[in-house]
Amino acid sequence: MKISIQINASPYQHQAADSAWHFIQAALVAGHQIYRVFFYHDGIYNALRDSRPPGDERDIVKRWSALQAEHGIDLVVCVSSAQRRGLLEQSVARKVGGYEAALADGFRIAGLGLLMEAIIDADRHICFGS
Amino acid sequence: MKNIFFIIDKPLHGNIQTQEFIDIALMAAAFDQRVLMLFEGDGVYALLQQQTPEAIGLKNSSPLLKALSVYDINDVFVEAESMRERGLSSEQFVIEVNVCPRAELKQQQETADQLFSF
Repeated sequence: MKISIQINASPYQHQAADSAWHFIQAALVAGHQIYRVFFYHDGIYNALRDSRPPGDERDIVKRWSALQAEHGIDLVVCVSSAQRRGLLEQSVARKVGGYEAALADGFRIAGLGLLMEAIIDADRHICFGS
Repeated sequence: MKNIFFIIDKPLHGNIQTQEFIDIALMAAAFDQRVLMLFEGDGVYALLQQQTPEAIGLKNSSPLLKALSVYDINDVFVEAESMRERGLSSEQFVIEVNVCPRAELKQQQETADQLFSF
């Protein structure tokens, strides 16, 4: 089955990012395809490169980057959610004088159109977090 | 084309999520999907006229609701029980809505390909 994922909550305050990550692991093991993971609302904080949790804790951002590196899963951060919260794409940051290296490896920033494409093309679209 | 059902149960200006959530509905309509919107619980307050969020430094998002019909989103429902519990009537709303009892709305939701709540 083609499954699309949406994450609406920030990584450490809510369980959404953890639940989604575990769900994706289980889905991949079961032979399903993860069409895309779309980060919306405060979910964009999952893509902050400079997140540095204590060494004995799970590193949620790095875990997403690893998921992308290992399985090639498309990690898309909503552009308007991200800009509102200060996470800028390199080219935009350069233009407006913002921080250019904010986005963690494996993520890309794009519009809501990619969310719609995922909802339409996937067999299931599942939201985590509110 | 998919039937996508959006459930709004929070007021419009208490958080940015409601506004960002409506953005998804507008995008779905722009992609020619069938969009149904339901306001229930405290979400019915989003529909009230004469909101002045400018007073607390927020942008007024009520025009977003008026844009729904521009995007051909005409299946807008309000749960009758939620309205009654809050003493509201549909004349107080910024847009025209279909007032439906909970049981009927539940049937509508069962026909949706995708349910969205937040």
